[in-house]
Amino acid sequence: MGPAIEDLRDEIIAMLPRLRRFARSLAREPHDADDLVQITVERALGRAAQFHGDSHFAGWLFGILRNAWIDECRSRRRREPLHAPEELADGVGDPAAGSQSELLCVQDALFRLPEEQRLAVSLVLIEGFSYKEAAEIMNVPIGTLTSRLARGREALQNMLSQTSEAQP
Amino acid sequence: MTFSDEVLMAYADDELDESTRTAVEAAMAADPEIARRIARHRALRERLRSAFDPVLDEPVPPKLIDLARNAPVPSNASYESQVVSLPRRRAGRITLPQWAALAASLLIGVVAGRLAFHGSGPGLIATHDGHMMARGLLADALTRQLASQNGATQPVQIGVSFRSKAGQYCRTFSMPASAMAGLACHAADGWRLQVLSGAQEQEVTAGGYRQASSSMPPAIASAVSDEISGEPLDARAEAAARGRDWQP
Repeated sequence: MGPAIEDLRDEIIAMLPRLRRFARSLAREPHDADDLVQITVERALGRAAQFHGDSHFAGWLFGILRNAWIDECRSRRRREPLHAPEELADGVGDPAAGSQSELLCVQDALFRLPEEQRLAVSLVLIEGFSYKEAAEIMNVPIGTLTSRLARGREALQNMLSQTSEAQP
Repeated sequence: MTFSDEVLMAYADDELDESTRTAVEAAMAADPEIARRIARHRALRERLRSAFDPVLDEPVPPKLIDLARNAPVPSNASYESQVVSLPRRRAGRITLPQWAALAASLLIGVVAGRLAFHGSGPGLIATHDGHMMARGLLADALTRQLASQNGATQPVQIGVSFRSKAGQYCRTFSMPASAMAGLACHAADGWRLQVLSGAQEQEVTAGGYRQASSSMPPAIASAVSDEISGEPLDARAEAAARGRDWQP
């Protein structure tokens, strides 16, 4: 009988909503975000042996998702070297948007940040990780994390205050 | 006193040590501009959270739950010894939002769906104080029903009862109509669910559970083997524990 693997599965299932939220801050399209979560689940189960009970479970999973996203970014850049930002406009005029529009607005601002700043902002401000945990997930020193976070935050504040002032 | 924006940011994120925090608070009281900058940091966090939090309430695609539940794991001899400490004990450290997430994805998505579909009625499981609690007829059965009283018409079938390592009484159960099985332990606030699992079909049709540990869903069986202290209660000890209202 394998007691631990069932526990790992349960813990992963419990984390799925948060993994999906995190993925949505990294991939714009919901189905791309869920693809990232799927890869994360597969890799987490495939690397179950790597997980040590004393390390931070959420950080371990989020780190796998972050790496999956980086892999995806790299292969996407190879496939679409001139990836244009025009898909930004998709959904803007969507009448069904409703509560989605705030998400899209914030998402658009977030997506204009350099990737590493976006990751720092997402892990700390959206996912609620401590600086130390976020630095571990990003595999950078804590000073690097805080400077990326500060820059990302400043840029976001400028973008979002502009958009809210510009709109009627 | 002036502070860099990084310090104010760290204050807003609750990342400062106590002496710096106190200094920032003093400065904040003296200088409305500092207070305003901190408020701006907090407002951004709130805005990001409120934009992304609705994702938590979206139903998790069943495909993902199914993958996590069933995707094969490579066999690895070192796996058990390394991961064995992950487990259920960690549940005590899971924070309420995670439980809420668990409730949303697992219970509402899978369990409650089955319960509702089979008309067993809602309200069998509730979260309380960060724990999943048995409620309604499930709680009643856990409190009153002896394994010897299981019958084809009972909505809840009681499996093994035992004392946990923590000294609590714990009981396994299944609900054939909703194809669910679980393990609950009695605490001061009622029956806390330690594990829930889909029951296997053959168990449902097989009926009696008195000696059914071999046909228990693996997640339940492993939880029992993790938790149990000594042997399962025999019929007399089970009735005696019920007579003491499952108090240790």
